[in-house]
Amino acid sequence: MARYFIRRALSVIPTLFIVITLSFFLIRLAPGGPFARERDVPEAILQNLLKRYHMDEPLFKQYLRYMGDILRWDFGPSYRYRDLTVNEIIDHGLPVSMSLGVISLALAVVGGIAVGIISALNQNKWQDYVAVSVAVIGISVPLFVMGPVLQLVFGMRLKILPIGQWVSTHGLKAIILPAVTLAFPYFAYIARLSRASILEVLRSDYIRTARAKGLKESAVVWKHVLKGALLPVVTYLGPAFSGIVVGSIVIESVFLVPGIGRPFVQSALNRDYTLIMAEVVVYSLILIIANLVVDIIYGLLDPRISYK
Amino acid sequence: MRKILFALFALLAVAGLSAQEFTMVNGAEPTSLDPHAVEGVPEHRIYTALFEGLTINDPRTNRALPAVAESWSFSKDYKTCTFKLRRGTTWSDGVEITADTVVQSWLRKMDPKNAFQYADLPAMYIAGAQEYLDGKAGPESVKIRAVDKYTFEVQLVGPIPFFADMVSHYAFAIVPLHAIEKYGTDWVKPDKMVSNGPFVLSEWKPQEKIVVVKNNKYWDAKNVVLKKITFIANDDINVGYNLYKSGAADWTEAVPLELMDEAKLRKDFHVAPQYGTYYYIFNVTRKPLDDARVRKALAMSINKNDIVNKVTRGGQIAANGFVPPSTGYTPAKGYGYDPATARKLLAEAGYPDGKGFPTLSILYNTSSSHKSIAEFIQAQWKENLGISVNLLNQEWGTYLDTRSQSHNFDIARAGWIGDYLDPSTFLDMFVTGGTQNDGLYSNKTYDELLQKSRETSGNERYQLLMEAEKVLIDQDMAILPLYYYVTQNLIDTDKWDGWYPNPLNVHPWKFIRPKK
Amino acid sequence: MSDEVILQVKDLKTYFTVDEGIVKAVDGVSFDLHRGETLGIVGESGSGKSVTNLSIINLISTPPGKIVGGEVLFHGKDLLKMSQNEIREIRGNKISMIFQDPMTSLNPFLRISTQMIETIMLHQKIDKKAAKEKAIEMLKLAGIPAPEKRIDQYPHQFSGGMRQRVMIAMALSCNPEILIADEPTSALDVTIQAQILELMRELTRKLGTAVILITHSLGVVAGMCDTICVMYAGRIVERGRTEQIFESPRHPYTQGLIHSVPRLDQETKDRLYSIPGQPPNVIDLPDCCPFYPRCEKAMDICRKKYPPVTSFEHNQSASCWLYAKETQNV
Repeated sequence: MARYFIRRALSVIPTLFIVITLSFFLIRLAPGGPFARERDVPEAILQNLLKRYHMDEPLFKQYLRYMGDILRWDFGPSYRYRDLTVNEIIDHGLPVSMSLGVISLALAVVGGIAVGIISALNQNKWQDYVAVSVAVIGISVPLFVMGPVLQLVFGMRLKILPIGQWVSTHGLKAIILPAVTLAFPYFAYIARLSRASILEVLRSDYIRTARAKGLKESAVVWKHVLKGALLPVVTYLGPAFSGIVVGSIVIESVFLVPGIGRPFVQSALNRDYTLIMAEVVVYSLILIIANLVVDIIYGLLDPRISYK
Repeated sequence: MRKILFALFALLAVAGLSAQEFTMVNGAEPTSLDPHAVEGVPEHRIYTALFEGLTINDPRTNRALPAVAESWSFSKDYKTCTFKLRRGTTWSDGVEITADTVVQSWLRKMDPKNAFQYADLPAMYIAGAQEYLDGKAGPESVKIRAVDKYTFEVQLVGPIPFFADMVSHYAFAIVPLHAIEKYGTDWVKPDKMVSNGPFVLSEWKPQEKIVVVKNNKYWDAKNVVLKKITFIANDDINVGYNLYKSGAADWTEAVPLELMDEAKLRKDFHVAPQYGTYYYIFNVTRKPLDDARVRKALAMSINKNDIVNKVTRGGQIAANGFVPPSTGYTPAKGYGYDPATARKLLAEAGYPDGKGFPTLSILYNTSSSHKSIAEFIQAQWKENLGISVNLLNQEWGTYLDTRSQSHNFDIARAGWIGDYLDPSTFLDMFVTGGTQNDGLYSNKTYDELLQKSRETSGNERYQLLMEAEKVLIDQDMAILPLYYYVTQNLIDTDKWDGWYPNPLNVHPWKFIRPKK
Repeated sequence: MSDEVILQVKDLKTYFTVDEGIVKAVDGVSFDLHRGETLGIVGESGSGKSVTNLSIINLISTPPGKIVGGEVLFHGKDLLKMSQNEIREIRGNKISMIFQDPMTSLNPFLRISTQMIETIMLHQKIDKKAAKEKAIEMLKLAGIPAPEKRIDQYPHQFSGGMRQRVMIAMALSCNPEILIADEPTSALDVTIQAQILELMRELTRKLGTAVILITHSLGVVAGMCDTICVMYAGRIVERGRTEQIFESPRHPYTQGLIHSVPRLDQETKDRLYSIPGQPPNVIDLPDCCPFYPRCEKAMDICRKKYPPVTSFEHNQSASCWLYAKETQNV
């Protein structure tokens, strides 16, 4: 197990190396540059800007310089946000994005499984119909529609939750709407997934065995159904977390959440190379780590899988 | 428990309504708080709260009002401007501001090593500054000096009667060099920042908000009523609009196009002419756009009134001329909607009924409103001239590159909002080889007229500029003006005093206060 | 075999509602089980034998299935009228079950120890440690080598035969009065089948457990069972002591079944006999003998009415118009 973990962790390095190298050259292939403005920067200033950020050097030298910096976890200065280093921007935003992501994932998983259980155990009763309808809405309504609708209802009409901004302005209730919006599609999918998989497990032979042993229905569900039924949900956690991380880019704009998603969009639009690179590295790391964690959880849950 | 809660809510309600605190939806996260590094409207609004230059803008007319300078005067030829500094104005840490501070500040802005964008703006007007900026001369070549501790003198490249208006711009900011020296780039962080405006920085949460509080060391502090201003950073205009509507913000200026009809019914929605123009650039090096008759035909076959009334719907003003009208300046007449003449001109150019006319494309940066306008024009040209055009949208960075670097376009959407109230901010763009001359227009007469305007002043200068615009529009139709921008602001002026619609959309914070 | 009847199934009817109509999976099944008796229920797939036994301990999932009539008296008490709590006391304790496929009948995500201990602790008031000892003892009885080590393994670490031994050990761990074994060997290798059957016989004899052995194979019941019920299309068509059935099968279906068993003591030149046709579709079955389409001795009456039960000597009985002559003329 430990060896497996170390091997997987080491395999992150070549992956990251490829991601960084490709991104470095790809973003420089995109037309335009960090200093392009509608009102052109005068040539003299432009030259000084390029010199200041070492962009006058040959590309390969810039690449080596960048790789050297990144080994020291130094992402360099942001071209757009002149007062902040890229590290500062990431340090500000990452905890926010991570807490939003983790809370959303937790909501999606806990809520989704709970609803999945309720609707599977009440198959074809009203609870099930309600849950299935909610799931269909969740899966089919995009984030950028769901967000504003919730804002309108809870922020504008009922006035019980803030429309936007974060904990420092509104306290913990600022998390509710963005987290719920972000979690919703994944909640819905997990509810559907766990419902289907619980129903399948409920029909399985070993559940019949458990019942024939005289176990209470609650013990059957908690002890015998869930572990097997939740494996597909665990498998889905990887894609779900990636989805939530990507979705949070939209959600951050809609709810003015000061995470790393908004600077990501801005950096891409403004060709803020250093910031784009840092965002790519951070997002890649998050996704790689998330997948590793999911693999490990899966292995812990399913005794048939062994890590060697 | 319920009583306590109720009391808390009551308190919150009072605090929320507390009219000495002001919250605005400020748009994108500011790129910097350093006045010399900024560009853009959200940054400008924060700048006007934290800093003051030699002058500030009058909240109604945008003309210069005394600030760090209590008075100013021009030499007879309008080539030298002398500012008398107010005695005893200090930074928020108590350090005095003197004429030397101004000199050093301006030199910092133009120092080529600092590579500040917009450094070319002062360099364009101050004698000897361009050489310094280009690295061809040292700072001593810049013709600014401290005559004495409280007298600051600028020598200009020509007669520039609007120079005092111009120095309210952040490109002419005065900065606390002692603090910059001490803290380096960190000087703008909340615990270190020193400023001289009516407010000082109290809190900066990147991507979230900036909070400023009243500066008690401000020279006119007794006339500043607001105690606190919160600038909310947002990239989504729908949220901004919702924040305002829900009462969480007191001022926002962006209204989503699809909610325009709703916003227009509101009493607190202020639409006013803005010093800016939305236009299309013709790439005049490409056939058949190199033919002025073709360009005129294209211009005359667009019903611009329909664009503002049916497409943009936000009170914009259809424009035939390029420079927005202002006191003493009448824009070129241009050409109105006249499909018959348009067809005739197109036939003369060799494309009767649009036959043989190549399929051009309209380039715009990705946005639903640019798209709606382009689609409307596409339909008009089809209907009135029988020609087809493609629509080509590109994301901002790519679009800028196509438009200004490779010039690989036929017709491109553009917009320009004046930095200061003078026609030259528009007309300077189209001189041969100008950095914003993306359509590669070149006309000797035009260049000469503009050159001459730089050497004259007053009414004579305006005549030259009007003449130049006639060449640009009436004669050559080098660009196709579509409409004049308007400022759109949502702010309840029944509640707030000191806020007035104005052409530069600049609203100095010291005047804004709750109505009694 | 004692003459004490511990389980009495009376006119049991279990129907399933499906889109096409009503499936009468079990339609009026009755039989008695004596203490220590081994009863074989034989029939083709779909004859209702498994449903019968799931109905006995009320494990039919509703919907789609429903027990619509009959009684299952265990020591005189109707299991079908018991509350969920009461019947759970019986399941796995007094009446336990083992199933056809040992590969899927054990929970793959739980250790063998967990699965055995939970049963033992549920029904016997002993602590976890004692329960584990009991479980190890049962595994040992069931012929699992090194049980104290293997008990902490997961099902996938056991072979099919070993798993069925685990199932047997688990089913017998609470000393049940009745063990219902639903095709316990059909999923196993032929070589293992005999071992498992032998194990079951040995253990149930030792513990005095009555067995209901459900199988499609007469060969299996021949060596195991005291009595046999032959089921066809949801009903028992013939019953009797094992020797009687094999010696003088009455029902043409039983005859066909016996005929189709390969025999080692006879030289076979012909192809092995098989009953022609397919088992009937039991949806909306009309009132007739459901076997008549496949029956070589079918008569007119078979098509019109279900035959009554005719009794023979040695408690043998069959439902077939061949023997119900007096009613035939009515």
